[in-house]
Amino acid sequence: MSTGAIRTEGLTKRFGPVCALDDLDLEVAAGEVMGYLGPNGAGKTTTIRLVLSLLRPTSGRCEIFGLDAQRQSVEAHRRLAYVPGEANLWPRLTGAETLHLLGQVHGAVDAAYRDRLVERFALDPTMRVRAYSKGNRQKVLLIAALMTRADLLVLDEPTAGLDPLMEQAFRECVREARDRGQTVFLSSHILSEVEALCDRVAILREGRLVELGTLEQLRHLSALSVDVTFAGSVPDLSRVPGVGNVRVHDHGVRLDLRGPMAPLVRALAAAEVTGLVSREPSLEELFLVHYGKERDDGR
Amino acid sequence: MTVAELAAPAPALPAPSRAPGAVVAGRTSRAAARSGLLWGYVFGAFVASSAWSYTSIYKTPAEREALAAAFGDNHATTALFGPAPGLQTVGGFTVFKVSVSLMLIGAVWGLLLATRLLRGEEEAGRWDLLLAGRATARGATAQALAGLGTGAVVLWAVTAVITSVVGLWSRVDIKAGPACFLALALVSTAAMFLAVGALTSQLAATRRQAAAYGAVVLGVSYALRMVGDAGLGLHWLTWLSPLGWVEQLAPLTSPDPVPLVPIALSTVVLAAATVYLAGIRDVGASLVPDRTHARARFGLLGGVGGLAVRLARGVALSWIVAVALVGLLFGTIAHSAGTTFSGSSVRQVLERLGASGGGAGAYLGVAFLMLEALIAFAAAGQIASARAEESEGRLDHLLVQPVSRSRWLAGRLAVAVALVVASGVVAATTTWLGTATQPTGIGAAPLLSAGLNATVPALGALGLGTLLLGLWPRAAVPGVYAVLAWSLLVELVGGIGALSHWVLDTSVFHHVAAAPSVPVDWTSDAVLVALSLAAALVGLAAFARRDILGA
Repeated sequence: MSTGAIRTEGLTKRFGPVCALDDLDLEVAAGEVMGYLGPNGAGKTTTIRLVLSLLRPTSGRCEIFGLDAQRQSVEAHRRLAYVPGEANLWPRLTGAETLHLLGQVHGAVDAAYRDRLVERFALDPTMRVRAYSKGNRQKVLLIAALMTRADLLVLDEPTAGLDPLMEQAFRECVREARDRGQTVFLSSHILSEVEALCDRVAILREGRLVELGTLEQLRHLSALSVDVTFAGSVPDLSRVPGVGNVRVHDHGVRLDLRGPMAPLVRALAAAEVTGLVSREPSLEELFLVHYGKERDDGR
Repeated sequence: MTVAELAAPAPALPAPSRAPGAVVAGRTSRAAARSGLLWGYVFGAFVASSAWSYTSIYKTPAEREALAAAFGDNHATTALFGPAPGLQTVGGFTVFKVSVSLMLIGAVWGLLLATRLLRGEEEAGRWDLLLAGRATARGATAQALAGLGTGAVVLWAVTAVITSVVGLWSRVDIKAGPACFLALALVSTAAMFLAVGALTSQLAATRRQAAAYGAVVLGVSYALRMVGDAGLGLHWLTWLSPLGWVEQLAPLTSPDPVPLVPIALSTVVLAAATVYLAGIRDVGASLVPDRTHARARFGLLGGVGGLAVRLARGVALSWIVAVALVGLLFGTIAHSAGTTFSGSSVRQVLERLGASGGGAGAYLGVAFLMLEALIAFAAAGQIASARAEESEGRLDHLLVQPVSRSRWLAGRLAVAVALVVASGVVAATTTWLGTATQPTGIGAAPLLSAGLNATVPALGALGLGTLLLGLWPRAAVPGVYAVLAWSLLVELVGGIGALSHWVLDTSVFHHVAAAPSVPVDWTSDAVLVALSLAAALVGLAAFARRDILGA
């Protein structure tokens, strides 16, 4: 039996004729921070709700630390904490009452850490939930999840509504959690957040897993953007192995490079190169290029 | 991601055809008209069944005179139900029978509808979206008031049409003109309290609080009218009460249009004040300062069971107070009401309703039907609030914890059952206190049995509601309310003998003995409770296996 924090096998969910999640095989190792990306409607929240057994799979299965997510959900839930993207809480309870309730229901709470979190996120716990702004309600849920020190944190767009300062505090908390050996499964739209926090990234599109790997690996799959400027004439680089999308301008050229760099460097040796800049694509570019392409192909 | 999003094959959006300004009026009037239609039908059915039952119970002039002698000058019943002139006529009896209950139902309808469509929409944030467009706060509020007005007009029209149609029957014989005036009188409290609800929606920060402020106005109005009618020489007090004005309209007996002046004037003034106040406050804010901070009380927050108690506490207490008051009222008037329950035709009707014998016991047998209905609606409210926890996403926070679904739902049901049983016991106790002041000779024990017996339909509603929550969650709340409303209608109409046994059997209330006039049929109660329990168990099992669904 696997000791992964989350392991899904052929996990599939249909809503009537619509397939929201199709045959997902995914393993989140204990102690890693995995980013879960995809456009709206790709099936991210469906995946998370299946993992939490709020939805029943059409087929396939899911395990949390080796426990069946559906049949042993109570045991599994002792080891996880969850933050949803929409903070619907009991409007008449105060922040402190909500934290108390969720802590009691979960069972184990690090009270000292909870108090530190309340301070760090600058939350006024005497306020009623209905008087909180969206961002403050989100803070209540973040604190409630983090204070349990659960082995697995399942976060579904957890920073929606947080200001940049609080976003910073959130990132610190996730890093602390990782340093303590907690596993984090982070679904997010904020690519810089994923880039800053995640060891590995899974990308979902129309209910299917389309990419999975470390950021490094994903970058290798994608082209490197290279700008070269020359003192003299621009040589023809279009036949160099791995080079594509060559765009020549006044004194230089911009091209995409896939694979090893050596053939390009050899081809440039003969020319009078005055500058060479190569840039790895950001996650955002990876993401956009991937979807842009898919969309174009689809036409 | 929701199912709706997923399933969207993106139909082309219709072009916005309505004049840009009238969106709020359109939305509000649709919602208000739907509600007005439904309640107009209830109002009409109540008027029709009262007129009908009078003609079948009190057939001879002698019987009618006896009724008038018993109630016509009784200050106790006048204080509770209003004056009863002309009990010798169908019209006089009908007005006496329906006016206080429909006045109160109309007022509550108006308060809840206005606070839902104004403060409720604002609280949910939908108002922000509308006001972000071209509408101003005052403009949108005026439009919403126009929409609420549509609801009142629909309520009036449906009531008037049903009353006129019933009036065509020669034994009832109410002409269309007086029928329309009766409908106007019955709906005028609804109109005034729509305006009261609209105003309190400007004052309070939450819908609940706005409704509570309105309820205070209603309580004071009722109390002023009651003291004014109690024969203490304070009749002028009724002129200070909106309910008093409606009473002075005296439809069908000695119609007087003059009180329409204060009724119309107060409605217009309240509406104008509402529009004015809407313009001097921020959207989402209230004029009465909102208590945004509170001292933490952790008492009941130790787990899901405690949370269920804490969430139900306020509503449950209101229901228990309501049934306590209704029980006290029934008990107090049981003796004088029972004296009119004589004669063979009365027996016949009582027997159709399942009661037997005569006197206070027979009266209470019929009166307890009303308690059964109240307690059943309280139970339906618990099903609705359990479903709301799920559909509004709050349940997610509990189910992702080490909490099984069955434990959560069983906890909610335990609270609901406790509310139902407490309501039955409290109602029986206060009825007994009421009867104890009169020479009725009814003891505490049979009333307690009757009180427990009255909880059986409510337990049935819980069983059905849980079954639906498990199998068809989106239909659970409308389903339970529909079954109860249907059953109540069948009982009201069935009392006059117009329905076949097959139709009567579809009513959940029909399967419960009309205690205390007849002994409680514990076997039949046990069967009903066992069926409810079985339905609840199936519902619990299905709930544990299905998807958690949003609205």
